[in-house]
Amino acid sequence: MTELPSIRVGPSRSPASGPQEDKLPSSEPSVSDPAEVEATHGPSVFRVENLFFYYGDHLALRDITLDIRPREITSLIGPSGCGKTTFIRCLNRLNDLIPGTRLEGRVEFDGESLYGPDVRAIELRRRIGMVFQKPNPFPKSIYENVALAPRMNRMKGNLDDVVEESLVRAALWDEVKDKLRASAFSLSGGQQQRLCIARAIAVRPEVILMDEPCSALDPVATFRIEELMEDLKNDYTIVIVTHNMQQAARVSDRTAFFTVDTSQGGRTGVMVEIGATSKIFTAPSDQRTEDYITGRFG
Amino acid sequence: MRRRRRFLDLTFWGLALLAFVCIALPSLSIVGSVIHQAVPVLGWSLFTQRTNALGIENAILGSLLLLVGVLVVAGTIGVAGGVYLAEFAPARLQRFLRFFSDVLAGMPSIVVGYIGYVTLVVAFHWGFSLLAAVVALSVLVLPYIVKTTEVSFRQVPTTLREAAAGLGLPRSKTVWRILLPPAASGVISGLIVALAISTGELAPLLFTAGFSDQNPTLQLLHHQVPYLTSVTFTDLALPGARAHATAAAAAAVSLAIVVILIAAGRLMTVRARRATRGMAL
Repeated sequence: MTELPSIRVGPSRSPASGPQEDKLPSSEPSVSDPAEVEATHGPSVFRVENLFFYYGDHLALRDITLDIRPREITSLIGPSGCGKTTFIRCLNRLNDLIPGTRLEGRVEFDGESLYGPDVRAIELRRRIGMVFQKPNPFPKSIYENVALAPRMNRMKGNLDDVVEESLVRAALWDEVKDKLRASAFSLSGGQQQRLCIARAIAVRPEVILMDEPCSALDPVATFRIEELMEDLKNDYTIVIVTHNMQQAARVSDRTAFFTVDTSQGGRTGVMVEIGATSKIFTAPSDQRTEDYITGRFG
Repeated sequence: MRRRRRFLDLTFWGLALLAFVCIALPSLSIVGSVIHQAVPVLGWSLFTQRTNALGIENAILGSLLLLVGVLVVAGTIGVAGGVYLAEFAPARLQRFLRFFSDVLAGMPSIVVGYIGYVTLVVAFHWGFSLLAAVVALSVLVLPYIVKTTEVSFRQVPTTLREAAAGLGLPRSKTVWRILLPPAASGVISGLIVALAISTGELAPLLFTAGFSDQNPTLQLLHHQVPYLTSVTFTDLALPGARAHATAAAAAAVSLAIVVILIAAGRLMTVRARRATRGMAL
């Protein structure tokens, strides 16, 4: 366990303190006035307005409106089946791969409609990286996993440098630099997940979407990923879906709470509120959020 | 209780052994009797003389040429079709195509041969020819290749498709670079089965290939093609022990081709699997 001494513990990682504390006063309203947000944070990376999402006839998400701000970690929490994963996959149009799905409402990315008629999903996904629930490296070498997409996208620059840079950035370089030609499956689960992060970074995206990236990992591996996220936040906007409320509290700047609504028949995901993580976890404005975070539900 | 379990255990093993014998015995007896009957003509002259001189050189070359033709025509169309069905076709079109593929798979080979004769040989004026024979054989084995390719691609985990899509890789490159390596062993098995079937077919060739005592040429049209199953078929009908032995020798060589195909296929699938070992499926 050579990495253990480097673990930072205690207050420096709690959301209530840390460098972003003064940027995010806990008095921030849970639904922010866009103009005010823009003044303090720059334009939103994603702006989602009245999003409805359907699998066939089933309404999976109802009327979601939220903003994702640049160079922040936004976490999406909520009970199983509340549509967190469906929502995050709306942000890079990955749901396009599933036949019979339909989206209504507006999703803007960098000020432009994500679902516009002449938007090419493929080009768009190069600007929005994604890390999945289970590590899913390609059945290829460690090097090839990272190099594949930059090579196919004909990115400029030396490929070896891109691979090294990405692996360094994903805090994996030291562990794999002597066996870059080894199969990606020879790595542990946590290493595989960091390889998937390196693979996403190699395309030089603006955003990294993470769908429960630690759910298949042990606590030490989870910690390393969280540490990595803090570091990546300086350059990337990160959206993370997590089942783990402690994780949301530890790593994220803002938190959106989703829940399942059965009042109109069927199980539909709705967003209850979004706000600074410190506020959501200490003084949520909705009773449902409070019930969830205090463990009375879910 | 313990005796009962022992009894059941023994019964099960007995039945399994019986099933094994039922499979192994006929195969071994066929192989054995074919080789035994071929003994009188086995020798170099079998491979260096043509059918007008009691050898089968021209038939071996013709059969191999047909296999290459099937690999090119049915292999290309079949793999492309399977990939299209698994990765690109809209659901409704998939059902439609699969239905026709199944119909084709159930088509008696003699019917394929007859239709090949009526259309290719007669109506298109191709004559008995390499191309007509290859097309008829290809139609026959196409459904196998389509099916195995489609199934192999469907077995590749969706997570790989999502990973590729998440990186902004185009679908075509995803299929070629990401999905094909793990699917390759299945695709190769399908091709091998198709070639093995082609090696043993006679009916579609009777109407399309013709026969010739000359070695086959690469002429696609109007040149008849000799092949092994025809030697077995015609020489068995001739009087005389030597003709019968030649028929058996042709059958033995067909068998050998199939065995070599299967062995080569195994070798390739083992390699393909090694490349994707450890992948969480």
